[in-house]
Amino acid sequence: MADHGMSKGATVLESVGPIAFGPDDVLFVADNRRAVVVAIDVADPAPPSDAAPFDLSNLSAKLAAFLGCAPEDVAVRDLAVHPRTHNVYLAVQRGRGDAGSPVIVRVDHLDAALSEVALDDVAFSEVALDDAPGLDDERVDIQLPTGDEGEAMEFGGRTFRILRAPIRTSTVTDLAFVDGQLLVAGLSNHEFSSTLRRIPFPFAGEVGGTSLEIFHVSHGKWETAAPIRTFVPYEGGRSILASYTCTPLVHFPLQDLAPGTHAKGRTVAELGAGNQPLDMVSYVEDGEEHLLVCHSRHPLMKIACRDIDRQSALTEPQEPVGVPWERADLTGIVRLDNWGDDQVLALQNDAGGTQHLRSLKPASL
Amino acid sequence: MQAEWAAREGALCLRLTDVETLDARSVRVVPTGALAAESGSVLPSMAGTVVTDAGGLWFVPRFPFLGSTSYTVLVGAPGAADQRRCTLELPSPGGAPTTTVREVYPTSSSLPFNHLRFYVEFSAPMAEGSAARHLRILDDGTGEPLDDALLSMDPELWDRDRRCLTVLLDPARIKRGLVPHREAGYPLAAGRAIRLEIDGAFPDAAGRPLRAGFARRYAVGEAERRRVVPASWRLVAPRVATRDPLVVELDRPLDHALAQACLCVRGGSAALDGTAALDEEQLVWAFAPRRPWSPGRHELVVSSRLEDLAGNSVARVFDRDLSRRADDPRAEAEVVLFFEPAEPAAQPTP
Repeated sequence: MADHGMSKGATVLESVGPIAFGPDDVLFVADNRRAVVVAIDVADPAPPSDAAPFDLSNLSAKLAAFLGCAPEDVAVRDLAVHPRTHNVYLAVQRGRGDAGSPVIVRVDHLDAALSEVALDDVAFSEVALDDAPGLDDERVDIQLPTGDEGEAMEFGGRTFRILRAPIRTSTVTDLAFVDGQLLVAGLSNHEFSSTLRRIPFPFAGEVGGTSLEIFHVSHGKWETAAPIRTFVPYEGGRSILASYTCTPLVHFPLQDLAPGTHAKGRTVAELGAGNQPLDMVSYVEDGEEHLLVCHSRHPLMKIACRDIDRQSALTEPQEPVGVPWERADLTGIVRLDNWGDDQVLALQNDAGGTQHLRSLKPASL
Repeated sequence: MQAEWAAREGALCLRLTDVETLDARSVRVVPTGALAAESGSVLPSMAGTVVTDAGGLWFVPRFPFLGSTSYTVLVGAPGAADQRRCTLELPSPGGAPTTTVREVYPTSSSLPFNHLRFYVEFSAPMAEGSAARHLRILDDGTGEPLDDALLSMDPELWDRDRRCLTVLLDPARIKRGLVPHREAGYPLAAGRAIRLEIDGAFPDAAGRPLRAGFARRYAVGEAERRRVVPASWRLVAPRVATRDPLVVELDRPLDHALAQACLCVRGGSAALDGTAALDEEQLVWAFAPRRPWSPGRHELVVSSRLEDLAGNSVARVFDRDLSRRADDPRAEAEVVLFFEPAEPAAQPTP
């Protein structure tokens, strides 16, 4: 395959977050602890294959056994299906704290055998997500306590607490590869804003991409920005459906977004309190593109893309709220990816918290 | 068969002695907690290799064995009557707890009811993945937890060295007009004090609990819904040739982290080196330069990213009412305020 600007060597992940496949065998892995996205050539050894039905019950116990830890010490952060071989890749955190380590686990699509994607001799490249050095960094440097000045400063009878604020970090919440660009959504530990980063791939330079801020309007009355929790490109990447940490589903056309402009998304659906959309995938049903959205509390939600295009921006906070959708009577699904054209692969929690991995045909839900 | 923990080439391994089989392929090591699920299907062995030498039969793990975890060694065909097994637990690293909660921000005594964010600063790096179990917000009057007040902590928001955790109240309930806000209302209510609690079981990076839990009470007042307007601040200029701080009296408490990242003092064209601080109520910001103040014009530079406790920034209101012109966003990247250190009073001539 093309080298995609990657070179061979050892790479080290300090953490794993969202993952997504790019061209060929390239798997993008967000390492939030290092604030980078690493592109890894997973060199999947399997031949091209169709997506046969897949059902792996009690993934939790199998991962715990393979990784040598208690089931409660395994956290599956994300999944991605290799589009050519249909082997499943899992971003897994094993253990906690200093004893913890991130692992990319490959699940064979035929016999569900587990193997590790070794990173000690692999083609890879990476891009840093921290903001380019600027005024802010200068400010951080000069205002840390110096010498033995202590934690407090007294002046005019008042006590001041010397600022020792956390350095700004951005945590990747989702990523997707569209038309030669990696789209990265993130959440800052400081300001509460909505940024979507566009990073050309192969990666060039240390800090990549342009950052776009997307506002959304609730009911024609209040405009707001929020970090994107999960998103899915559709219509060949021309459109994005995103869900925000404040929960509405918002549509925006990708090509309309230019850096520095006041971009506005169109709120097309809202769900009730206490619920977070967790993941989304686009697939084809009866020749038409649909989206499947899984939630922390609500059941699986199925939306026809043509209905999103028809849906005008919500102006009244009344039921029914926005774009029509169907509820599939399936709960506990926390991650989704494509499984062939018309199926999806779902990571599902049962009532006892045990995780299972199975393919679903949304048309029959 | 006997099994024991033993070091081999610097790695902690399992050494098996008194094993009747030399068939390495029939040896499996499985975490005991996962073994309960082995019914009908055979779980894979923990990744690793089996090595035989004069010392016995060694299981060398691909991933290090974890403390406080029990492992079962199985030798022989799965399900066979002559399958032998033994179970060992790797003890926890132990040691007395040393980590503490150093501070929870804001340190102010009261919050607006549309308050957005807390920062919890620990004295040492922490383990990720359990914050939601060990941190909660309670009604101070009843002691009952406020359900669904916090945004889900998946992912958890840590700073680079895992010592500061950012905790957000659910923005969907704070933002006006959204369905969750209409259904469930604000997470906080004016006049009802809350308590933020961190229990002592929050594990640090070494897996040890905290030396003690932490609790802070906040009164809850009215909402804050205006842009931060630096022009409304009162600057108390320091005196030339002293290192007295520039004191800035703010119009409302500011966000702890952004107050550091978004405020800077310039003299001439360069940012001044020094120490910045906020008072306990986050209502006064002070900056003491490392070198004494020079005469002449100085600048306090405010990045428009600077936010107050409710997430209103210099640039925009957190949830902007489109019908209010006063809420229109500002485009500038920064706002500059000027001050001039005071000259010492002229000495009276004798």
